[in-house]
Amino acid sequence: MVTYTLKRLGAALLTLLIIMAITFFLMNAIPGSPFLTEKSTPQQIALANAKYGLDKPLIIQLKNYVVNYLKGDLGTSLKMQEGTPVRDIIFHQGKFVLSIKLGLISLAVAVIIGIPLGCIAAYNRGTWLDGFLRVMTTVGVAIPGFVLATLLLASLAVKLHVLPTNSGQLTDFKSYIMPILSMSFYYVCYVAKLTRTSMLDAINQDYIRTARAKGVKTKMIVLKHALRNSLIPVITYLGPVTAGIITGSFVVESTFQIPGLGKYYVQCVMSRDYPVIMATTVVLSALVIFMNLVVDIAYKIVDPRITLTNKED
Amino acid sequence: MKKIIALLLALAMVFSLAACTSSNEPAPSEEPTPSEEPATSDAFVLNACIASEPETIDVSTISSVDGSTYVQHMFENLMKYQQTSEHPADDPNMFMTEVVPGQAASYTVSDDEMVYTFTLRDDIFWSDGQPVTANDWVYSWRRLVNPETAADYGYFLDGIVKNAYAIYEEGSMDPSELGIKALDDKTLEITLESPCPYFIEMCAFASLMPLREDVVEGNDNWTDPENIVVNGPYIISEWVHDSYIKMVPNDQYYDAANLGPDEIVWHLSDSETAILSSYQNGEYDFIESFPTDMIESLQSSGDCFINPYVGTYYLYLNCDKIPSWKVRAAMTISVDRDHIVKNVTQGGQVPATGFVASGILDSEGKDFAYGVSELGAIYNWLSQQYPDADLTTYAGKCELAKQLYDEAVEAGEWDPNTTIVYNFNTSDTHKAIAEACGHDWQTVLGMNITLENQEWATYTNGLGEHAFGVARLGWIADYNDPITYLELLVTGNAYNYGLYSDPDYDAAIAGAKAIAAGAERDAMLYSAEETLFGEGGFPVMPVYYYTNMYCAKGIKNMGYTPMGYFFMQYAQPAE
Repeated sequence: MVTYTLKRLGAALLTLLIIMAITFFLMNAIPGSPFLTEKSTPQQIALANAKYGLDKPLIIQLKNYVVNYLKGDLGTSLKMQEGTPVRDIIFHQGKFVLSIKLGLISLAVAVIIGIPLGCIAAYNRGTWLDGFLRVMTTVGVAIPGFVLATLLLASLAVKLHVLPTNSGQLTDFKSYIMPILSMSFYYVCYVAKLTRTSMLDAINQDYIRTARAKGVKTKMIVLKHALRNSLIPVITYLGPVTAGIITGSFVVESTFQIPGLGKYYVQCVMSRDYPVIMATTVVLSALVIFMNLVVDIAYKIVDPRITLTNKED
Repeated sequence: MKKIIALLLALAMVFSLAACTSSNEPAPSEEPTPSEEPATSDAFVLNACIASEPETIDVSTISSVDGSTYVQHMFENLMKYQQTSEHPADDPNMFMTEVVPGQAASYTVSDDEMVYTFTLRDDIFWSDGQPVTANDWVYSWRRLVNPETAADYGYFLDGIVKNAYAIYEEGSMDPSELGIKALDDKTLEITLESPCPYFIEMCAFASLMPLREDVVEGNDNWTDPENIVVNGPYIISEWVHDSYIKMVPNDQYYDAANLGPDEIVWHLSDSETAILSSYQNGEYDFIESFPTDMIESLQSSGDCFINPYVGTYYLYLNCDKIPSWKVRAAMTISVDRDHIVKNVTQGGQVPATGFVASGILDSEGKDFAYGVSELGAIYNWLSQQYPDADLTTYAGKCELAKQLYDEAVEAGEWDPNTTIVYNFNTSDTHKAIAEACGHDWQTVLGMNITLENQEWATYTNGLGEHAFGVARLGWIADYNDPITYLELLVTGNAYNYGLYSDPDYDAAIAGAKAIAAGAERDAMLYSAEETLFGEGGFPVMPVYYYTNMYCAKGIKNMGYTPMGYFFMQYAQPAE
């Protein structure tokens, strides 16, 4: 297990290096410059390029990025917050924490509500309750996040005045409600659908029939046997979606005026703020890699038949 | 084995949470939101939102209107914007401003209008208590033109202050040779290249504010709240990036006793829907952006007002891709601008009749846009050449446009099968304007138009490479003089994206820049704009003059300049 984890960490570092190189060449391949404005001149752009070392050959710039990253220096922003260290922008200004908070809470809500809903639907298959949940979850995955966010904003904040329009730094309970609802609703519905499908699949397995034949109570069959096996697809889905929730929080962060990393990730690409693009990509890639590792280990816990290393075969 | 895995997972979770909380420690996320501040019961906190996070508030490197607005509240220049009794729109709570001495007590101008000598006030201090001196301007202006600063407005003093061009553009002189020097702590002397009628107005500009060398030099974070030292009415007390900037009165400011808000909180957001929601919910008192389709209802509810704004929305007609001036002229006059401002932009914009924006004045105080005739520069020369054409109606303009277009085709100057590519940067408004123009050119002239939208960075890159047939841009005046526009189309100017070149035009602009304000200079500038829209011309197609919309409630005594800056330092709660 330890060897496996170390190997995966080594592979993760190599993956991050490859991601850095690809991101670097892609962001330099698209036209534009961080210094372009309606009033910028070629003279200004040339001076700014020289000031920030963008006039050097690409391979030298890439080497500088790698060397600086190894020293823990993520560079300075060229456009979004000109001259500010990128590490400060991502970590010390609280952007990463805000997005992680939003993402993890939404994910927890998706799991805590979505899985039981899927179980209830499967347990009551064919009844009105199953029908209701199926309609609700289908509608839930069809509604775009920005529509739900705008609806919540217009109704709960602007009309009823029960919640603040500006969630800002997420400092009180009220400021969490609408962003979390907007972000998690899709995932609640998707996880519920996924759980229901895999639960129905598990219920038809031989070992469930054996359990029934032995007289085990239905509740016990669902909770102890069927649920455990039906969680594999859900766990597979949750790993990559964690990073997706953070990078995909652009709409929610914009609508509720939350200064998180998701919004920043999109804006830095539009602004060609190269050091910020590079750093956010690396940080989020590291998060995806870490979550994939967590998922692989979680497989093993949920299903002992799964092996992680050759030695265990 | 299970226990080990469970332990590992638990450790991983703890690590994740610890990572989150440790990063959180120095972060401002634990700070209360502005609305939750323990303000005293009678404190006046003004909540405004004019834009998203500014790229910078460094005096030398700012170029945005929002960044300049924040700077105008924190710093004060030799001259300043002071409220008058005039209202820019029908809002009784908003007042126009005029440029008056600020940190300068007085100034003198030499007989040849080449040397300005400013005497500073005795009661001016930086926020840390040190006196403001003439050297603070010397340092700031030298820093602006220093190529190493790479300032957006590094060119601002080119051809105006002595040696600025040689320092910034040519790199042939040291910044210390700029024509500015401190005669003593309270006397500043500035030498110009040639008489400049708008120089005094420039002395209120944000990029030319004074800076303290010991505060700025060697400190990349000098604009952070804990480091910044200012000489204006307000100072930043807190800055939560991408969320808000909070300012409080600077008690060292000479007029601190008369300032308005106890706190100004500038909320930073780019979502029009969210901004409007916060305004409607009473969380914001003043906003500048909101969805276009809400303008009408906001106006009818008495919230929205439309101010004049010295800026022109225009299209470049690439002289290389559309070599016939008659075709360019036909395109220019065949667009229904009334339709665009009434049905597309809907913000009270004014159909443009020339390149120089309405609001720019000549030496007699007349609006330059209508100085020669009510028709405007686009139509002046055409009305003389084609006296039978009715250029007062859209139908008449279309008739002349078709005539000019047909003449160009018959003369072999234009192939009617050519397809013109119209580029614009991604925006619903730019797209709708492009569709309206394309529709008019297709229906009136029978031209083939392809619309292509590009995201901003790609788009501006294409402008520099002249890779377009038609392309949009907006230009907001830097100062109140026609030169701020007309200079853009001089041969070789970096903004001359349409590659227009006319020696007569270049000579007229050079001549106007070399003489003092007066009738002779006015005549040269009017003549230059007529050349621009005469035979061989029409390199740009002005569409409309900008306006500046805002919503405000519960506040009075706000200031505004048509350059786009709002001033809140003397705002008061409305009864």
